[in-house]
Formats: sequence, C-alpha cells, structure tokens
Amino acid sequence: MCDTANKNIYLPYLTTVEEVIDETPDVRTLRLVFQDPQLSENFTFRSGQFAEYSAFGAGEATFCIASSPTRKGYIECSFRSVGRVTEELRRLEVGDTMGVRGPYGNSFPIEEFFGKNMVFVAGGIALPPLRTLICNCLDQRDKFGDITIVYGARTEADLVYKRELKEWQERADVRLVKTVDPGGDGPEWDGMVGFVPTILGEAAPSAENTIALVCGPPIMIKFTLPVLEKLGFTDEQVYTTLENRMKCGLGKCGRCNVGNVYVCKDGPVFTAQQIKAMPMEF
Amino acid sequence: MQKYISQQNFTALLDALIKQGTRVVAPKLNAGTVLYEPLAAAGEMVADQLPRRSGKEAFFPLCEEIMSYEKTGQQVALTDIDPARFPETVLIGVRPCDAAAIPVLDAVFSWDYKDEFFLERRRKTTVVGLACTTADDACFCTAVGISPAETRGSDLFLSPLVGGGYRCESYSDKGEALINSHSALFAEPSGAEALPLAEPQTEKFDLKKVKAWLDEHFEDPAWDSIATRCVGCGACAFVCPACHCFDIVDEGTEKKGKRRKSWDACGFWKFTHHASGHNPRDQQPKRYRNRIMHKFKYYDDKFGQTLCTGCGRCIRLCPVGIDIAAIVEEISKKEV
Repeated sequence: MCDTANKNIYLPYLTTVEEVIDETPDVRTLRLVFQDPQLSENFTFRSGQFAEYSAFGAGEATFCIASSPTRKGYIECSFRSVGRVTEELRRLEVGDTMGVRGPYGNSFPIEEFFGKNMVFVAGGIALPPLRTLICNCLDQRDKFGDITIVYGARTEADLVYKRELKEWQERADVRLVKTVDPGGDGPEWDGMVGFVPTILGEAAPSAENTIALVCGPPIMIKFTLPVLEKLGFTDEQVYTTLENRMKCGLGKCGRCNVGNVYVCKDGPVFTAQQIKAMPMEF
Repeated sequence: MQKYISQQNFTALLDALIKQGTRVVAPKLNAGTVLYEPLAAAGEMVADQLPRRSGKEAFFPLCEEIMSYEKTGQQVALTDIDPARFPETVLIGVRPCDAAAIPVLDAVFSWDYKDEFFLERRRKTTVVGLACTTADDACFCTAVGISPAETRGSDLFLSPLVGGGYRCESYSDKGEALINSHSALFAEPSGAEALPLAEPQTEKFDLKKVKAWLDEHFEDPAWDSIATRCVGCGACAFVCPACHCFDIVDEGTEKKGKRRKSWDACGFWKFTHHASGHNPRDQQPKRYRNRIMHKFKYYDDKFGQTLCTGCGRCIRLCPVGIDIAAIVEEISKKEV
C-alpha cells in the first residue's frame, strides 16, 4: 500500500497496543493503532491479508489481520501463545509499542461475493481469518444475501470472539450455528454439540448462489470439503486461507511454498479448486 | 570492448583499486580455506582454486543487520540501515558458475518487493569473471548449460592466456568503466592463445525432461531412495551460489538489539516447522525433495531458469555423499 521504492522492506511500522482482549485462556487479541498519524489515517488493507508482527528481541510472527478494513483507525490480530514470539507478544500491555509489517498477500475477492449468500465455516483459532470478512460483510449487510456462520471449538472456553458470537447470535440477519466437541459443553451451553463438518451437514445451507469460506485445522478442512460437495457446492464456490511458516512475507525467503505456490504471494486465500491442485505439503 | 592486461598490470590494477578505497573481493586463502573475501593487497588473490563458498555473499552476506531497535519505557525506536554504508566493490576472479548465479539471484530479490540490501550492493559492484581452467570430478556446469567460459553475470570477463596475462572483454557499462578508469594498464588485445578451458565430465542434462518428470512426480517412491541418506545438515545450501533462503532473527534483549537476515536451508527440519507443532515437511526426504523441486522446477516455473549452475560444491561438501548431478541424471532417464 505504501511506496516502497528504495525503502527497507523489512522495516516494520510502529504501533501502540490500544486494547488487550483475552479470548480464551491462551488466545489473545491485540488492538493496534499506528503511531504515525498519517499512516493511521491512510493504512488500508483487504480482508484476507496478513502481516508480520514484531516482538522486539524475539522476532516476528505471521497472522492475518483479524479486524475489518471497514473499521478504521486500528487493526487487530489474534494469536495463541505457543512459540517464542507469541509468548513475548502476550507480555505486551496497553500502551506498549509493537512492530507491524504489511499488509501482505492476496485477499478475498469480496466484490465478487456481492449479491450472494455467504456461509462461513471455522474451527477453533481459525476464526480470525474469517472474522475480518464476516465483519466486512456485516458492515455492508445490504450487499449480501443470507449469512450463515458455523463455528466450533473443542470446548466452550476455546471459542474466540465470544462478544461477537453473542452479537451475531442476536442479529436477525445472521444465522450463527455454534458447536463444541462432544464433552466440551458446560451447563450453560446453548449451542450444538458435535464436530464442525457434521454440524455443517445438519445445518445444510443451500449452495445456490452461495460462497462458502472454510478455515480450520487441516483435518477439519479435509472433512468439511466433502460435506460442502454433498450440499452441492462446486470447488469454485469454496474458499479457504492457508497458513505456513513464513519469515519475509514478501516472496523471497523461500519457506512458505506449497509446491510452486508461495502462500505469501499467491495466497493466503485460495479456492478449493486451487487447493486440490496443490501437492499435500501444508 | 576487448583488451589485454599483463599479469603485472593486473596486480597493479588490484592494488590501485584497493588504494583508491574500492573494496576488492576475490578468492583469498583464509586459515586454510579459500573464500571470496576483501583483499588487503593484490598478492592475496588465489586464482587457481574454486572458493569453498560462492560469490553470492558479496551481495547477500551470510548474516547481516537489517535494522536495530531500542526500547525506552513503552516506546521503541528503530534505526534503519543506510545503504550508503555499502561500499563500491569490484568482485574479481569470479568463476563462471558463480557469476552465472548472480542474475538468478537478481530475479528473486527484485521481483515485486525490492530487497535493497541485495540490490544496492549489486548496483555498487562490478563483477569480473574469470574463465575456468581447472575442473574436478564434482564440476558439472556444462551439464546445466553453462560453460567454463560463460560470461553471464560478468561485467568484465578475463580469459587467462598462454604465457601469462588475460584477455579482457567487457559486457556492460560497468565493465567498460573499470577498464576506462585505469586505461593505462590495459593494452590492445594480443594474438596470444587462451589457456585451455576446464572440461567437466558430466553429460548435458535434458533439463526440460527433468522438469517434465518433476511436474508429474511430487509423490513418487523414488524420493525415498534419493534422499533417505540426507542428514539435514544444510551444508549444500550454504555453499550453493544460487540458494537464497533466509531467516529473520532478533539478536539482543527485549530492550535493545539488532534484527538480522541470515542464510537458512530447506534441509533443516525447523525450516517449515509451525509453532503448533505441525510440519508440512516432517521427514528428511520431503525436505530434500523440496531442494530438487525448487532448483529444477519451482524456480523455473516462476523465472524460466534453473536454480543450479553446476559448481559441484554441494557434492564435494555433502557429509553423506549425496550427488545432485547423479540424481538429476537419474531423473532425466526416467519415463515421464
């Protein structure tokens, strides 16, 4: 988005942590505001794009931008603390400085989805890459037909964005089907019990004039694609985002490739048709 | 432009360049190992040995600082690298296999986003190639379509002559400028014969056929036998003139430190290891397959060339004797 001619492409922008939200015991969302007011004003991205987030001293980690480009003045990222960098990012407090490089990669072709029904299918920590698009769609609600969200996690506690789930549940123009794995429900649980692919099959959204967007662990995607097929979705109607270990995010460092496809440049958003053409290397 | 330079004047040229403050990088003996390194005097150049590592580090150092950070309270100050710090350089005595790899790397660092760490050094460097008169049984440049007199990647190319001195041919403005800047040291070309070129013994590969097989055989039992010996040491990538994978790491404390870009290797298990524990290339044969695929298919898919110039370093250095030339030859004989 910025003029990068003769610039250091590895230099992050500086942001301030404006809000820290604990989604689950180990998943945290950070709301970030660019320190340069002009950049804060002009920073644009598209749903589906990702960034490299710096914990100075530990390095960089790759996540999608989880907020919607329709909500300006900040960006959000959500991550599980599992590695060196994410452990450090977790230690950041409101007011602390964090580095961000991006936005990188392709995006969901949202304009092509105008006038269509949308079915979002996500599992666990994989809701953030779809949440940017869900919020984007909801902020221009009249441009879309029916919106269905099927979201599941192992247990009630593992569901991310609980505030938004509540909001989506209360909206008359959104159908939220939330589920937890058998045994993951508590006494207060008001959703379904069962694995995401099964629950998706039972919810049975129509494939007619519909786009399906799937994001989750590889095993969930593997079992979800046949369900969608059975519901009548073609591979061109199904989108997903891939995640691979990355360093540069710029198509140079050579590690995120799946066959000859660079996730950082050719992705992270792919149709099921593109995914099926790839070797099993993700 | 074609010229002749005597051995004596060649030495004088290097010394003059060094004296005027130009960084002169050439094969140099350092603790028993020949590497492309800055010379303090012309006499340090070792012209008759292929350096252990390639010439790529003149543009793409093993490890380099890309920024530094310092935290004060909740604020962090970043310090960028000024490209003006990269010195004017003459990279001299570059073997054709190393010089030919430079345009291969140009493509990587200049497509889409521009890596100025590489590109600014490239702009400031004049590459002087040297025809290859010594080959060993690991050399296979001719098998991948490069010759011991290949001038691709060189601004100026030297051919050693019988009786001493070099024939010099310029292939770019930079090459011509180097001659013009010290024109008194160069003479009109003599009729002297060039020393016989090295002759690698490997037969020319049908690279199209190799790629055609790779296009169709990502999954193939052959990969297990090809790469089962690989121990994942990464030596092949570190000595390769065309390998360019890198890591970005912070060195320092939370308060203060440097961010560095350093060479990496697809043979390392951690290269593609996710924080979640998942690893798409969880076994060594998958990692070695990526190496072959990247060199003879993926890079070609993207940039229309092969990511190998046949220098043979990976064959010489591999601790378990993996011979990439033999592997590619074997693939070229398979039914597509």
